[in-house]
Amino acid sequence: MPIVVACFKWVVDEAYIRRGAGGALDLSSVDYKIGEYDRNAIEEAARLRDAGGGGSVIGVTVGAPDSAKGVKDGLSRGMDQAFFVSDPSFKDLEPSQTAAILAEVIRTRIPQYDLITCGEGSSDLYAQQVGPRLAELLGIPCVCFVQKVSLEGGKLVADRRVEDGIEVVEAPLPALVTVLPDINTPRIPGVKDTLMAGKKPVTTVKKEELAGSFEGTLKTEAMTASSLERTGEKLAADAAGIARFVDSLRKSGVIR
Amino acid sequence: MAGIWIIAETREQALELLEAGRTLAPDMGAALTAVVRKVAGPPEDYIARGADEVLLLAELPPEAPFGAHLPVIEQEAKTASPDLILFIASARGKEMAARLAARLGAGLCSGCTALAFDKGSGSIRMERLAYGGAAIQKLTSSAKPVIVAVPPRSFEPAQAVDGRKGKTRELPSPPPSAVRVLERKPKEKVAKDITEARVIVCAGRGFDKKEDLALARALADALGGELGATRPLTEEMHWLPEDLCIGLSGVQVKPELYVGLGVSGQIQHMTGVRGAKIVCAVNRDENAPIFPLSDFGIVGSLYEVVPKLIAELKK
Repeated sequence: MPIVVACFKWVVDEAYIRRGAGGALDLSSVDYKIGEYDRNAIEEAARLRDAGGGGSVIGVTVGAPDSAKGVKDGLSRGMDQAFFVSDPSFKDLEPSQTAAILAEVIRTRIPQYDLITCGEGSSDLYAQQVGPRLAELLGIPCVCFVQKVSLEGGKLVADRRVEDGIEVVEAPLPALVTVLPDINTPRIPGVKDTLMAGKKPVTTVKKEELAGSFEGTLKTEAMTASSLERTGEKLAADAAGIARFVDSLRKSGVIR
Repeated sequence: MAGIWIIAETREQALELLEAGRTLAPDMGAALTAVVRKVAGPPEDYIARGADEVLLLAELPPEAPFGAHLPVIEQEAKTASPDLILFIASARGKEMAARLAARLGAGLCSGCTALAFDKGSGSIRMERLAYGGAAIQKLTSSAKPVIVAVPPRSFEPAQAVDGRKGKTRELPSPPPSAVRVLERKPKEKVAKDITEARVIVCAGRGFDKKEDLALARALADALGGELGATRPLTEEMHWLPEDLCIGLSGVQVKPELYVGLGVSGQIQHMTGVRGAKIVCAVNRDENAPIFPLSDFGIVGSLYEVVPKLIAELKK
């Protein structure tokens, strides 16, 4: 009966990001969500638990105290319990810092586990580093970009997608996988799931309870809004609109 | 002397990274070292294209993944202490870059879209996209080493120069890897490479069923282009192969013309077409986010508009 650790992050929903004055990043009206890719990591952990006839899914997240909403959200998506590593300074961590904190918590608080699942990247930074870094810090095998995984006899077998095809690999447990979005379809929590989530155990870990300084390695000098905006001329679907559309394409020289 | 390393799985990757390294080396006063697989071409070729030193990775047993080289690379990097290590952000490259970064306690800028050395401050300046492409993150590092993974085709292949000299050294075989490859299934090349396409017609969620994609294909044919897709179509519906998925986590394209049919315009997707010369849209929702991100678009059902467009194009 597998014990699976699912890592996830409570992130800004990028759909609400606006471009402010002078290209500044306007986060004033943003909402938050569990990272899209992390939902697959949680779902896969739950699937492996159920396929293994029991066991449990332990969610772990690192964030500022207001990420508490994300912990409850994660618990409604199939996790049995959660570790919430929380500090006001854990707001804009680098992937190296997040990985180091996760490693310290897993090492000291989760004595036994079979597998760690991570999304292929976070929805905000999408640096795709935390999974493989975490595996190295814990000294366990790592298989990234997995689209299928099963556990059997102390090993995992996984299909990992690389540019030239699929590598079917095996690795001894405990190990870490990062999963691709098409590995499963994450559940959409219902009312019952949300109610149940409130009753599941959450262990909050404070920064002071962890050994280590978790210094960053790179410096973010600026985070500015990118500009994808174009002229945005809207035409009607009538004969005049169609003619103007095709005419504009011809004039711009993109159709021959 | 300062050092720049490039670590590559293939010759193609090595040449792009050599170009990147060769551009930075003079200002950094750095020697350029290519860490490449022995089977990926003769070392003299890399030397001619800018490498001062070539470190040849030992041949691996068939069951070993590329990541098996990591302990040897780590050891060499600790000894040589390069300032900058460059990877291509392929699946294997990204994984190895992150694992090496953890082992060296180094910073890693993944998906790096701009890379420069600032002589004044002696720091490396990097840019990358964040928040699904809604933001540009600017990073610096003055600690060494800094590891950078650049997307494929960010740099032209380095050209050979006559009379260049360099050293070559063979690296020892790595210890057995915990991860073993049981089988390699090469990709069936079903789809054309849309990264090279001049015109792309992209199908989105606005299509009701798979058969209807014939409409998108017909428009692509009329425009002399290729078919692309948004992520839901490749990864949720599995209507089209994943190679055609355009976006931050799929392929990034630079066509002269992009036409989104029934594409809502999520930022992750639109980031993948930021290099397009002209972006057009057909969507029945006049408030769809794709319109402000397009040069022009038609508000209407793609089922009505596309046949009319094809007819107009044939005039």
